[in-house]
Amino acid sequence: MEELDLLKKSWKKDNQKFEQVSESQIYKMIHRISSSNVKWILIISILEFVAWTSISLCFNTDDYFKKLHAESFLTFFKILNVINYAVIFWFIYKFYKNYVKISTTTSTKQLMTDILNTRKTVQYYVVYNLSMITVSMILGFILAYLYNPKFDTIKFQIAHDNYAMLFKMIGIFGGILFVFVFGFWLFYKLLYGILLRKLRGNYNELKKIE
Amino acid sequence: MSESLEQSFVKQLKENQNIVHKICRLYTVDSDSHNDLFQEITIQLWKAFPKFRGEAKFSTWAYRVALNTAITLYRKNTRSISTSSFENHKFFIAQEDYNPEEEEKLKLMYKAIHQLNDIDKALVFMYLEDKDYQEIAETLGISEVNARVKMNRIKTKLIKILNP
Repeated sequence: MEELDLLKKSWKKDNQKFEQVSESQIYKMIHRISSSNVKWILIISILEFVAWTSISLCFNTDDYFKKLHAESFLTFFKILNVINYAVIFWFIYKFYKNYVKISTTTSTKQLMTDILNTRKTVQYYVVYNLSMITVSMILGFILAYLYNPKFDTIKFQIAHDNYAMLFKMIGIFGGILFVFVFGFWLFYKLLYGILLRKLRGNYNELKKIE
Repeated sequence: MSESLEQSFVKQLKENQNIVHKICRLYTVDSDSHNDLFQEITIQLWKAFPKFRGEAKFSTWAYRVALNTAITLYRKNTRSISTSSFENHKFFIAQEDYNPEEEEKLKLMYKAIHQLNDIDKALVFMYLEDKDYQEIAETLGISEVNARVKMNRIKTKLIKILNP
């Protein structure tokens, strides 16, 4: 290809065509903050870990069970809590391992895989938290229904109208849950869609070669 | 210790900055984004520098980090085909051996390359840098055969862009 050869020839003697950056400019540059997607993934991920962990810490179920006189569930939830913490630590460890693996000196494909894996760890953490919250909400609903005296009148109504009221309640509850989960899904889709769109595009291009 | 590391880095990058400029030239279309990408590549080079032990030439080590930054870490979309801003690019500094006809051809060639995707640009860059297919394949993480096939396809693609 004639044009490419022409370019190759001029490419070699191109060196003086660029405005040269001075040493002091390079000094300034290395002290600036990176705006790379990896930097953003790190910031967002730390925020997510902090946010989700504090949400699960804030959910103090003990008082709620005591109020409901459902203390028998306390031990069960205490065990669940311990498991929950273990899972959180496992996720943070996994994230750290994946994050330090990211290196610009590996091959492009490896680098992309490492970034996407790091991102996936946080994504799984979010999915885990969302499912925990969903399960808690469902359990909370069932417990409230069984133990909360406020539900007595509703139970009475349900018995009278052939469970139509119960289905209505489940419907409303399911609707709220759906909106809640869908909202989060959309939020993450947008956030990481914008952040990683280019990377994913290039990753697919690279995979197409093989 | 860190002071001398910094000094050594700055000195080596200053000497080898053209390799970074060349990558910026392929991946950006105007001076602002050229400078922006140059800045990001400099940060990434500096971050990776402690791992550089001098077993390769600085330029050989740097181009891989620079390419990876342009393709993978740099968030802004580099594939914008804006022809007006293209004229502002900093590489059009008048030269002594200025040949208008040749310059026109080169301009069209760069314009064609700018229409390629980021991966194709990386292959073109390494081809222009005279890297062998083994190194091209290693840098991108693909097989040598595929790198060869891909480069041929890119040439065909460029011919098509130049002669629509």
